[in-house]
Amino acid sequence: MKGRWDKTALGKQVAALTVLITVSVFVVAPYGWMLLTSFKSTREIMQNPGKLLPIDWTWSGYVTVVTKSPFFSWLVNSAIVSITVTVAVVFTSTLAGYVFSKFKFKGKTALFWLLLATMMVPYQIMMIPQFLIINEIRIYDTLWALIVPELVTAFGIYLCRQFCDDIPDSLCEAAVIDGAGPFKIYRMIMLPLLKPCIGALSIFTFLGIWNEYLKPLIMLNEVKRMTLPLALAFFSDAHTRDIGAIMSASALIMLPATALLLVLQKQFIKGIAITGIK
Amino acid sequence: MKSKWFVWVVLLPIVILFTVFMVLPIAGGFVIATFDYNPLRSGNSFIGLSNFVKLFSDATFIKSFKNTLMFVFVTVALNITVCLFLSALITSLRWSKLRSLFRVLFFMPCVAPLVASSTVWRGLYSPKYGLVNSFLENVLHIPAVNWLGTPAFVMPAIILFTLWADMGYNIILLSAGMDGIPSDFYEAAEMDGTNALKKFFFITLPLLGRTMSFVVAMTLISHFQMFAQFQVLAGRTGGPNQAGNVLTYYIYKTAFQAKDMGYASAIALVLFAIIMIVTLVQQRASRVDWGY
Repeated sequence: MKGRWDKTALGKQVAALTVLITVSVFVVAPYGWMLLTSFKSTREIMQNPGKLLPIDWTWSGYVTVVTKSPFFSWLVNSAIVSITVTVAVVFTSTLAGYVFSKFKFKGKTALFWLLLATMMVPYQIMMIPQFLIINEIRIYDTLWALIVPELVTAFGIYLCRQFCDDIPDSLCEAAVIDGAGPFKIYRMIMLPLLKPCIGALSIFTFLGIWNEYLKPLIMLNEVKRMTLPLALAFFSDAHTRDIGAIMSASALIMLPATALLLVLQKQFIKGIAITGIK
Repeated sequence: MKSKWFVWVVLLPIVILFTVFMVLPIAGGFVIATFDYNPLRSGNSFIGLSNFVKLFSDATFIKSFKNTLMFVFVTVALNITVCLFLSALITSLRWSKLRSLFRVLFFMPCVAPLVASSTVWRGLYSPKYGLVNSFLENVLHIPAVNWLGTPAFVMPAIILFTLWADMGYNIILLSAGMDGIPSDFYEAAEMDGTNALKKFFFITLPLLGRTMSFVVAMTLISHFQMFAQFQVLAGRTGGPNQAGNVLTYYIYKTAFQAKDMGYASAIALVLFAIIMIVTLVQQRASRVDWGY
C-alpha cells in the first residue's frame, strides 16, 4: 500500500495539508501580531488599529522595557531560580529513584505511595500553609522561597524510578562484586543509562519553573526580586496604556522558551512522548 | 541491594524537605479549613465546619464553582476533539519531516509562560486595536464584540485562548499513540474498502483507549488548576459580572487579599474534592482491559 501515489491518496494528502496549514496560521498569528505590534509606537497602535505592519518601525517599546524597569534583574532572578532548581531536581530525583528502585529497606512501599499520593493534591490546598512556613523560616520575599520547596519533586522521583526499574539489577550486582560502592554505581552505571530520562526531566523542570506565576505571586513582594512572569504582570499593570512596551516585554519573555523549543525540538517531542509530562 | 547508610543519607534530606514543604502543607490545608484563620491576627479560633457551611450562601463561590465546571468541561471536550482531528491529519502525512514540523508548531504556545501569552491575547481581544475584532469585521464581516468586557463573551474568550495555549501537549501524545497502532488493522480495513471516517471511528479511536484515558485525565486535572489566564483576561475583579471568576482565582483572592485563609482553604478542599470525583468517574468510564 505504502509508496504508491494514486490520485486519491495524493488528494487526501493535499486536503490534510491544507487544513493543517490553515490551523497553523491561527496558531502562529498571535506571535506575529505580538512582534509587529512591539515595533509600533503606542500612538500608532491606537490611531491605525486595522493596520498590521508598522508604519514607523521603532524600538521604543523595547527601550522602555529595558530602561524603565529592572528587566535584567528579573532575567537574572529567573535564570538563578530555574537553573538551581533544575540541577537540584535532577540530582535528588535520580538519587531517590535509584534508591527506591535498587535498594531494599523498611517502609519503602509506604513511603513511595505517600510520595505518589501528594501528586494528586492541587497546589491550591498547600499554598496557604506553604506560604506560612516560608514566612516562619524567614525566606519570604527572597529567591530561596521559590527554590527550597522545589528541590524535591514527587514526579521527578517517580519518573526516575520507572527508568531505573528498566535497568537490569544484574548490572548493579556485577558492580558490587567488582567492589563498587552504592554511590559509584550511581555515578558510573545509573547516571549514564538514565540520560534520556534526565534530558526530559531537566527540560520540563526548567520550563515549569521559568514559566511559574502563582508561586512567585504569593512568595515575592519586592519589585527587583521578581521573576519574569510575575514581573510581566507587574509591568503591564504599571504601563497599562503603553501597549507597545507591553508587547515588547511579552516578546522578550516568550523568546527564551520558544528559542529553547526550536533548538531542542527532538528532545521536547520525545520527552513528552516518553514521560507523558503535562 | 542493601546498604543502610546509603539509603539513609539519600532519603533523610529528601524526606525532611518533602515533609516540610509537601506533607505538612497538605495536612495544614485540612486543619486551617476548620479555623477562622487570619495571619495578621494573634488569636484564631477553631470553628469546625462553619467555613464549609458559609460556602452554600456565598454567591461568588457558587458563581466561580459553576464557571470552573463550565470552563473545564467545555475546554477539555473541545481540546480533545480538535486534538484528535489534528493528530489524525498529522499522522496521515507521509513525509516525517512535515509531521514533526506541525507537532513543533502546535506545541509552540505550550512553552510560553501563560501570563505572557494571555497578556498578548488581552491585546488581541482589545475592542480598540485588537486583531480578533478586525479579523471578524474585515474578513468575516461580523460585527465587533467587546470580548473581555461583556459577561457572555469573557468565558468563551478565555476558552479559545486556553485551547490555543494547551493543544500542543495532547497533539504530541495522541499522535504518538496513533503512530503506535499496528498498520495491519488499517490494511485489513482498506481491503474491505473502508473509508477514512470509518477507519477513524472503528480502528483509531478504540485502539487509542489507553492513551486517551491518560490524556483526558491529565487534561482534566490540569485545567481545574489553571490560574494565570483568568487573572490576566478576566481582570482583578473576576471579569464583568464575575463571569470570568473561577475557584483557583477566588481561592487566591480570599487567601492573599482578604487574608481569610481558613475560608480559602475550605474552598481549596472543595476544588480537590471535585478533581478527585471527576478523575475517578473518568477512570471508571474509560477502563481498558485489553491490549494488542
